[in-house]
Amino acid sequence: MSGAAAPTIPGEMRADITTSVNGGALTVSIGGALVLDTVGGVHEALEAPLARGPRAIRLELAKVTRLDASGVSVAVGLHRFAKSMGIPLEIAGVEGDRKLLVDLALRGQDPATPPRPIGFTREVGQAAAGIWELLVDLLRFAGEVTVIALQIVRRPALLRLRDTLAAMARHGTDAVPVVGLLGFLIGAIIAFQTYDPMAKYGAKLQVADVVAVSIVRELGPLITAIILAGRSGSAFAAEIGTMKVTQELDALRTFGIDPVRFLVIPRMLATVIVTPMLAVYASALGVLGGFTVLGPKGITFTQYLVEVRDVLTVGGFLQGLAKAAVFALLVSAIGCLAGMRTGQGPGAVGLSTTRAVVAGIVAIIVADSILGSFFYTLGI
Amino acid sequence: MVIALRGVSIGYGSRAIVEAIDLDVRRGEILFIGGGSGCGKTTLLASMNTLRPPLAGSITIDGIEIAGAGEDTLQQVRRRFGMMYQLGALFGGMTLLENVRLPLEEFTRMPRAAMDDLARAKLGLVGLAAHADKKPAEISGGMQKRAAIARALALDPPIIFLDEPSAGLDPVTSADLDALIVALNRMLGATFVVISHELASIFAIGHRFAMLDGARRRLVALGPPAELRDHSDDPWVRRFLSRTASGEG
Ligand SMILES: Nc1ncnc2c1ncn2[C@@H]1O[C@H](COP(=O)(O)OP(=O)(O)O)[C@@H](O)[C@H]1O
Ligand SMILES: [Mg+2]
Repeated sequence: MSGAAAPTIPGEMRADITTSVNGGALTVSIGGALVLDTVGGVHEALEAPLARGPRAIRLELAKVTRLDASGVSVAVGLHRFAKSMGIPLEIAGVEGDRKLLVDLALRGQDPATPPRPIGFTREVGQAAAGIWELLVDLLRFAGEVTVIALQIVRRPALLRLRDTLAAMARHGTDAVPVVGLLGFLIGAIIAFQTYDPMAKYGAKLQVADVVAVSIVRELGPLITAIILAGRSGSAFAAEIGTMKVTQELDALRTFGIDPVRFLVIPRMLATVIVTPMLAVYASALGVLGGFTVLGPKGITFTQYLVEVRDVLTVGGFLQGLAKAAVFALLVSAIGCLAGMRTGQGPGAVGLSTTRAVVAGIVAIIVADSILGSFFYTLGI
Repeated sequence: MVIALRGVSIGYGSRAIVEAIDLDVRRGEILFIGGGSGCGKTTLLASMNTLRPPLAGSITIDGIEIAGAGEDTLQQVRRRFGMMYQLGALFGGMTLLENVRLPLEEFTRMPRAAMDDLARAKLGLVGLAAHADKKPAEISGGMQKRAAIARALALDPPIIFLDEPSAGLDPVTSADLDALIVALNRMLGATFVVISHELASIFAIGHRFAMLDGARRRLVALGPPAELRDHSDDPWVRRFLSRTASGEG
């Protein structure tokens, strides 16, 4: 601080506090400055007399020469203490502006607010609970979406075709480079990792089988879906969530427009159409990626392709397509639902986005294991 | 004089929004700042509270020059301010209680329980005692603003800046807020600089009113609100102060 005046914080500020007990009733009398700099001391001085369990409290503030908004917290502390103990509190010696300040500060002070679990545990707990609720809610949401979808089947004009096409471009076409790149690399990685052990048994060419089967049936759809969860599930949650926060969803409903028809169906339909195509593309590049490892080891492209063609069955191919479609359904529904369930305030959209991605990936993996055993039992 | 502006231009980059501002904020006054949307009110407040240095001119606070001042000086000066931002700017990861307690943890030494009482008292002042343990996302926009006011009051600063505190508040809450401002002003001589369109508040508790005009890029009026409404030479100022409905910010 410079030498210039700052009159509300002079250096020498003291609060004088005296306490007396008379027949179990505690009288606290405070004089001097009851301000930010002195409330800490007053608080400490009150600990012992309060610990003795008074049957009533009287707070006498007439001798306070200076009171600021922080000083008022002494009254708030005593008020909350008295309320929690069920004993009477009388505050004396405040008038005019001071009384107003004390009255304002005491409004709605309720010591019964339950303490919350704190910090990390709570955050994790909340996030986990949120994701679980989301997955449970998904069932109800599925019903809602189905009803609207059936309406659209009966009256196709209800479909927002333009939005659907836009979503297909945004969530399909735009995802082509990253899906292709990942498919290619995964194919190469699988070939690379399996080549040595397989070569030991003289089964160099069969590396192509491993790549083709694992990519087409499993990894192609899986990585496509995971990218979809990160790119599109989060985008759906953010777009719809923002509309929820800014009350645009309410506005739609006021117009009599069902947000599910208007926002959810186009997004879900678009992803269910484009994801299997993306998965096929990822698989094709994965197979190509595998060849970049095998080619230098003396296997020709024709040999490689023939091997791949022989190992791939129509069933396996359709299995990949079906998985991709199911994953797309799950990821897009979860993304939209997370958006629709967005809470209030600026942080809410971020929370929904996170939930959409995490719940989306969990759902993909769970669905994958269920579908995997299902197709296996069918013998496909 | 607690804040003095001399020939101040405010703006972004090299683009001035308002120029040649001469304005003294008197110690212990309640000064309202008004003007059309986007005329530079928030920017002016940001210049006074050291966040956005003026493009030209001098701003002193308690006699300390802040235009071109170093970070140490600014840091000292900032301790004298409490600021409520137009959108609240509460810390989203913390409860309201934690938001108000943060400055106390950073700048005071007192028992934790005393800090809690203090934060609860400040929240009570703005009518949010019952919501102390909620996160900002769990309350309405108007409540967030009030919580932000409680946070601005955390350290009982001698100078308090409020950017549209009552926009979005119901009339009763708004009147409570006016009463709180007056009480703190009278009891402690706290200086308030308040951006507001609420004519009811401006006339009820404002000592002076300063008006910016975005089109002319000038401070076009400064004086007691009633006097300006009735006697300003500027028709725009008279109109602004005599319309009945309040506008958006
Ligand atoms: N960060 C920024 N960069 C550039 N221009 C800005 C920025 N913030 C605000 N502005 C512009 O400055 C002008 C004044 O803004 P502001 O001070 O927020 O107005 P008011 O608070 O009076 O509504 C507006 O035209 C606005 O578009
Ligand atoms: Mg503004």
